[in-house]
Amino acid sequence: MINQVVQDEVPVAGDVPRVRGRAIVVTSGKGGVGKTTTTANLGTALAALGASVVLVDADVGLRNLDIVLGLEARVRHHVLDVLEGVVTLDEALVTDKRVPKLRLLAAAQTREKDDVDTAAFRDLIGTLRDRFDYVLIDCPAGIEKGFVNAIAGADEAIVVCTPEVAAVRDADRVVGLLGDDRKVELIVNRLRPALVRKGKMLSVDDVNDILHLPLLGVIADAPDVIVSTNRGQPVALDPASEVGESYRAIARRITGQDSAAPEIPREKTFLGKLFGGRS
Amino acid sequence: MSARRIVLTSGKGGVGKTTTTANLGAALAKSGKRVVLVDADIGLRNLDLVLGVEKRIVFDLVEVVEGRCQLRQALIKDKRLENLSILPAAQTRDKTAISELQMTEVIEQLGALCDYVLIDCPAGIEHGFRNAIAGAGEAIVVTTPEVSAIRDADRVIGKLHERGLPVRLIINRIRPEMVRSGDMLGVDDVTEILSAELLGIVPDDEEVIDTTNRGEPIALVAESRLGAIYAKIARRLEGELVPFTTLGAPSFFERLFRKAG
Amino acid sequence: MSSVRGRGRNLEIAVDRALGAAAEELRTQFAGRPDFYRGSRAVANLGLLEPPAIELAAFRDALAEFGIVLDGVCGGESVAQIAAEVDLAYLGVAQVAEVSAMPRKRQQREVRLSDDARSLIADFAGARADMVRRRVSGPVGGAATVVAAAGVAIPLQPRPVPAGVATLYHRGTLRGGQALHNLGNLVVVGDVNPGAELVASGDIVVFGALRGVAHAGAQGDRNARVIALELAPTQLRIATVIATSGADRTKRGPEHASIVDDRIVVVPFAEAELKRESHA
Repeated sequence: MINQVVQDEVPVAGDVPRVRGRAIVVTSGKGGVGKTTTTANLGTALAALGASVVLVDADVGLRNLDIVLGLEARVRHHVLDVLEGVVTLDEALVTDKRVPKLRLLAAAQTREKDDVDTAAFRDLIGTLRDRFDYVLIDCPAGIEKGFVNAIAGADEAIVVCTPEVAAVRDADRVVGLLGDDRKVELIVNRLRPALVRKGKMLSVDDVNDILHLPLLGVIADAPDVIVSTNRGQPVALDPASEVGESYRAIARRITGQDSAAPEIPREKTFLGKLFGGRS
Repeated sequence: MSARRIVLTSGKGGVGKTTTTANLGAALAKSGKRVVLVDADIGLRNLDLVLGVEKRIVFDLVEVVEGRCQLRQALIKDKRLENLSILPAAQTRDKTAISELQMTEVIEQLGALCDYVLIDCPAGIEHGFRNAIAGAGEAIVVTTPEVSAIRDADRVIGKLHERGLPVRLIINRIRPEMVRSGDMLGVDDVTEILSAELLGIVPDDEEVIDTTNRGEPIALVAESRLGAIYAKIARRLEGELVPFTTLGAPSFFERLFRKAG
Repeated sequence: MSSVRGRGRNLEIAVDRALGAAAEELRTQFAGRPDFYRGSRAVANLGLLEPPAIELAAFRDALAEFGIVLDGVCGGESVAQIAAEVDLAYLGVAQVAEVSAMPRKRQQREVRLSDDARSLIADFAGARADMVRRRVSGPVGGAATVVAAAGVAIPLQPRPVPAGVATLYHRGTLRGGQALHNLGNLVVVGDVNPGAELVASGDIVVFGALRGVAHAGAQGDRNARVIALELAPTQLRIATVIATSGADRTKRGPEHASIVDDRIVVVPFAEAELKRESHA
């Protein structure tokens, strides 16, 4: 599936007009909970299902989406270049050779978030929605201008939260700021079932007792994620990765191919650790 | 002014700034220094949680700046360490509520009351970051040995140098077995890329999550491995030459990590 | 730094630097919300400052840009003459301006409400200052539901709640960082999450889990109550008494909090004494 080359759809006169794509911002409030990793992996998984996907890095000045995708060497232009008319959108979009239906629009590294005009960014997202099935926006940490820009133009949000008190508090703040007009769903990331059992970590219920959000998915903590982000190989491309499978399942839920309730990862038994994949 | 004013920053979120601020502050206070911790993350405050003083907040940084209360009315004294106090951030406001000038004035006032002012910086490099570094005389950059974190730390170090702030580095959440298998950058890799003076190396420890949730900094847990490490960092901050523990001793750490979870 | 405070229906602007710099500072402060104080009347407390008349006139004009009418100034005796030169009233060295003595047009009702809400916040700050003073002198929180050093006089003048003030009714969960302030009572149907804040001059009722900060009787009404389906606040305040919930996380059903003998007492709602008691 990964190496298969798929022709991009070419519009033909008389075709059914395209339904507008979905724009989803991936946000959290707290930094370091897995927004960028989630954006990269969900985008990869959605594209692998056959959808056309563009990933937008809204973290001006601290861009990381390109690293996590392993595309940093291919980035020539960024969002601000497009907004300021220096290059066209097509010139700025980076293609991922492993996943042909996936594109990346990188952030500027040597600029500031204040340089982005919110209305212009919103219009850009609108343009992207006309061209792609899914527009995923990687939101910076915090609730400042970077956050405000990232959510402009997205009428859906995925809140990523780890099972820790500080992360839940920050996520709650963000949900409040997202307002009532957006569809907001939750991914609980880095769950460690053994610690939950010992009472040393919050459970999914503890998290959602505060956040009150529809649950999109739960992802277990696993060391292969760090390795993959360092190497620029999203785990969603690895058929043997459990975390990769979690992302693939979430992608199926997003497209509507799967409507079952998300599975909560279970604690591995000793035998499970011995014989079942990497833990 | 008497106190050293140190901002703890990182660029990347979630690498452990707040946990480090709390634990380093506790370690310094334990060694007899008078310490005030300042939470500069207005709107997303967490320092109070990590120290377990959330329920005792009556006034906050923004109200001090707006003149609604005296500085000493807003300071919360830690019940476990009499030398430790915290100035909490506001939660129902945002970072535009105060200016760099106002922040500098508050830090100056605090400087007259203690030996160390540690400022917990928000993630990012926006207004909140600029406020946090405004009153500082030196900086500690916290990073994890991951490519994204290092790249962000590098950007931040550049900005700190622009302001003329001396920078020292703490590498957090290092996993020795992953360094050995080549899956994680090692200490030398990190210090070479960032070319900053190393202040401390803190290994990953799953106990930290629980202690953070409960508001009991691990530096206060008697005989904890991490507590000893923060104590060493405090001594280095004071100017003492304390050698770094080699994390290479395989049997000790391998045993430790196999036992976990 | 200069500060702007609500006092009664008007503003007191305390100035601690040259008027030119103060005006700049206020311009920056108001820039984000230029209409917030529109229609207000103000008094400037100059402290020890003795500005030239021309600066005072310029300061008045700067305030006028935001719809604030400067009526008078407080300050040292030499300020009296300066004030006269620019047609401003001199109000002596008093901290509290006697603005009520001055002729003024009737305020619009909407403006009056926002003035009152601002003064509510100012009173709230005063109440909390009092609480901090008490906290410093006595133990705080812990397993007990009390913080109040017995025998400390409360220097608060409780204000009567103006007639015609409504109860604010809110449906939905209040998230961290959100706040509801009301002159009157407050009812929330939904949860109040940690990091959220409720302030009311009257009672507070939460038909859900109260996990944030709630301050009832914020202008001094010690008869105010806090009622919730799940009472687990980070901090509870009634008038100037403050309490925190203990570490016990067992769910106990609907509860009612009120002041009894100078401390906050929490009882199961079924047992709550709901009669209004007379002031001591």
